[in-house]
Amino acid sequence: MTATPQPARRAARKPFDGWRWAGRLTILFLLVFTVLPMAWMVLTSIKTQFAALQYPPQWWPAEPTLANYWRLINPADSTGREFLLYFWNSLFVSLTTTILGVVVAVPAAYAFSRFRFPGRQLLFFAVLVRNMFPAVVFLMPLFLLMRWMGLVNTHGSLILTYLTFGLPLSIWLLKGFFDNIPVQLEQAARIDGATRFQAFLLIVMPLSTPGIIATSIFSFIGAWNEYVYAYTFLSKQDSMTLPVGIQRFFTEFATDWPGLMAATFLMSVPVVVLFLVLQKYFVRALTEGAVKH
Amino acid sequence: MATDRNVIAPAPALRRKRGSILRQVVEHRADYLYVLPAILVMLVVIAYPIYYTIELSFFKTPPNLQMKDKIFVGLDNYAAILSSASFRRVTLNTLIWTVLSTGFAFILGLAAALALHREFAGRGLLRAILLIPYVVSAVAASYVWKWLYHSDFGVIGALSVQLGITDRPINFLDNTTTVLPSLIVVNVWKEFSFAMVMLMAGLQTVPEQLLRAARVDGANTWQSFWHVTFPHLRGVSMVTVLLLMVANFNAFIIPWIMTGGGPAGASDIWITDIYTIAFGRQRYGVASAYAVILFVVMMVLGTFYVKALTRGDDGRAQ
Repeated sequence: MTATPQPARRAARKPFDGWRWAGRLTILFLLVFTVLPMAWMVLTSIKTQFAALQYPPQWWPAEPTLANYWRLINPADSTGREFLLYFWNSLFVSLTTTILGVVVAVPAAYAFSRFRFPGRQLLFFAVLVRNMFPAVVFLMPLFLLMRWMGLVNTHGSLILTYLTFGLPLSIWLLKGFFDNIPVQLEQAARIDGATRFQAFLLIVMPLSTPGIIATSIFSFIGAWNEYVYAYTFLSKQDSMTLPVGIQRFFTEFATDWPGLMAATFLMSVPVVVLFLVLQKYFVRALTEGAVKH
Repeated sequence: MATDRNVIAPAPALRRKRGSILRQVVEHRADYLYVLPAILVMLVVIAYPIYYTIELSFFKTPPNLQMKDKIFVGLDNYAAILSSASFRRVTLNTLIWTVLSTGFAFILGLAAALALHREFAGRGLLRAILLIPYVVSAVAASYVWKWLYHSDFGVIGALSVQLGITDRPINFLDNTTTVLPSLIVVNVWKEFSFAMVMLMAGLQTVPEQLLRAARVDGANTWQSFWHVTFPHLRGVSMVTVLLLMVANFNAFIIPWIMTGGGPAGASDIWITDIYTIAFGRQRYGVASAYAVILFVVMMVLGTFYVKALTRGDDGRAQ
């Protein structure tokens, strides 16, 4: 007789769901783990040098200041001139790489998706496998090649080498997007008298705009964050990109942690903004191909 | 098989398809135009470097890098690496670094994906926040964590003292026992959300009916995860683990900027070791041989990788 009222009572006071709580705790832990370092970067960047070097640390800046940022973006200041130059260099190299890479990758990806020409398998294998190899394998010969071509210390060397990782990745991502566009659409256009190239240009390209955007973000972020080649090829200040240039802040002002944190923050802004705005495409590109049935 | 060609191309073209390779190439010559620019670029910046690395690995290269003065030494460079005193230690570091980074990033990513699978308000925002470290440059991440780990003013050391975990701040990066784990934490921070995104996408392919059927049959949460969800995630998990492994094995920036492989080589891995040999000591020949060994290891991984990635590709080609 005691068994009958029990279900009613259990429904009234929600049963403790261990899994749901485990999920919440996991999210809380990951959020703290992810956000704290970034928060500390921002908090340090608005401290004075004196406030940053205190023990125990000032958790909240007593006198918050934007002086560290102002120094970096002020063209009248020598630090600012340097930082702005690196920033501009990074922007130029990343944009050029992205545009060049996509222009070359789009037709190639289309061919891999639609045509079955001899050697296709082998070529595609090469494209895929490239992503496996570290920059270091390519670094020595490319350094010698760039020296021979007189491109060391120029942006040309970076743009050319960034294609080593940008191109295979772009081709792979774009192929995934093209695969998802029904061939019938092109066939219809062909029957209406379009050439194959016209069908590609007028039907496939517009439909794969999201894919092209996603690929461009990937290329841009990859180029913006690239360090190893830039670190090896560039020794003159004029041509340095941000990831390399930022080291100079570190060595020049050996203890200027607030300044360095401000610089890393500004360096992260473009990619984070780009990512947040185009997040949907970014995530799609990341998972495209990996989760097909 | 090239669907649009079969429908549109005239019948004679179909018959000609059964010709020699050469004939096929001639027949498909227009197709190559699309791939040609990519092939040209890849020949210069990918094929040539690979060839040249292999060639250099058999030569002793002069310190001034005048490559016309290089001397053929056969397999000496390979012998030099494999017998060097530090090789074994660096290899062990590389294994620890790769396996632990991959393992933790995958487990955290899986936990996050499962926790975020249920719809709730703010889920998208949460996913975006967790993904930021993956997008931010490894250089920026390295400096931020170097500051967090700072021996005198680092917030982690100060926190562990205030919470009573240690008596005084730990010198995370200058200590041979703590340096590698400390770097692995940074690496996991940087990339666990990659696994999260992949696995979230994978979770969406698990059929709802199967989960419901399992519940009806009396399976608890763990059983339905283990018997229904997990088998469906196997494909995505394999690709994710492989990609993470490759990325970690090839990692350079975090160890290089945070410690430069030190102290006393305690955080040196293959990649940083190769870089030091090539650009620190100008021994290109030895470094090239080292790179070729790495190349071979990657080829083994690469076979799995390509298999995992092209799964289903031939199905579409039919």
